[in-house]
Amino acid sequence: MLTTPSQQAACPTARSRFWRGVRLGIPILLGYLPVGTAFGIVARDLGMSAVQAVACSTTALAGAGQFIALALMKSGATALGVIVATTVVNLRYVLFGAAMAPYVSRVRPMGQALLAFTLTDETFAVNIDDHRHGNADAHSMAGVGAIAWVGWVAGTALGALAAGLIGDPDSWGVSFAMPAMFSALLVAQAEDRRHVATAVIAGLLTVALMVVLPGTWYVIVAPMAAATVAAVMFR
Amino acid sequence: MSDAYVWAIIAGMAVSNFVVRYPPIAVLSRLELPGWLTRWLSFVPVSVMATLVVSAVARPDGVWRVDIASPYLWAAVFTGLVYWRSRSFLGATAAGIVSFLALRSVLG
Repeated sequence: MLTTPSQQAACPTARSRFWRGVRLGIPILLGYLPVGTAFGIVARDLGMSAVQAVACSTTALAGAGQFIALALMKSGATALGVIVATTVVNLRYVLFGAAMAPYVSRVRPMGQALLAFTLTDETFAVNIDDHRHGNADAHSMAGVGAIAWVGWVAGTALGALAAGLIGDPDSWGVSFAMPAMFSALLVAQAEDRRHVATAVIAGLLTVALMVVLPGTWYVIVAPMAAATVAAVMFR
Repeated sequence: MSDAYVWAIIAGMAVSNFVVRYPPIAVLSRLELPGWLTRWLSFVPVSVMATLVVSAVARPDGVWRVDIASPYLWAAVFTGLVYWRSRSFLGATAAGIVSFLALRSVLG
């Protein structure tokens, strides 16, 4: 083997950091598998082919956005209407991207693009938590993103191909897989009293805005308003 | 539902997803952010998570569930408590789903 000492040192390290991220993301994989399966089943029910269901999960990785798309397609919305609605529910990723930016300032544009592609609620929360403990880097974040993507795509494929064999996914608690992940991740983000207070403010604003605002605009407006209140209160 | 309709949606969602995620990272990571913006951003993750939990509990599957006997409410509280005590993401998620199934069979 004609490798220089520096290559020998650098390669295993980058690889081991990637695999550390993969291990960190295993719970996300286990959460995405059943929810992805449910997406695959519902998509087939609606008349999408297995290839289309898997292509959607492979290129979008948009959880809630994809379920909303299915519901709108079922109600006969135009293609543009479906795309606009899923974009609105995904606007929160603008905030996530902004919050992640300081941590990836040394990552090359291609790496940033890959991390952006695998940015979900769960990968974001896990990576931010990991950063707070001083452990995360570009490779570990790539590992977290990769395993989450694998879970989402594999789950969708399973649901799309074996729809008839699985039955009703709700009978094994799929409808609570995402809320359960969100609940654990919320507690993970609440590191001190200021954050607990912010969560309470965000929760109250969410209920109020769900009543007042049309569609899913509360998903982006409530957190922005709560963060603004917190930034003014906790100087 | 025509093939063209479905593929147009798949393509549009793929583009829209990347467009909301990449530019903020690409632009803001090159700038030195002012203090107030950094402080504001530090409250964003917990705010988004609270919004996601509250909306999933209050209106699961698009139907309001604000009664005290909601299995979504108590399973979410239980999941949060398990995470708080164990610091295990996997354990808390699994415990949450099991508690939800148990609570749903009792509370409906």
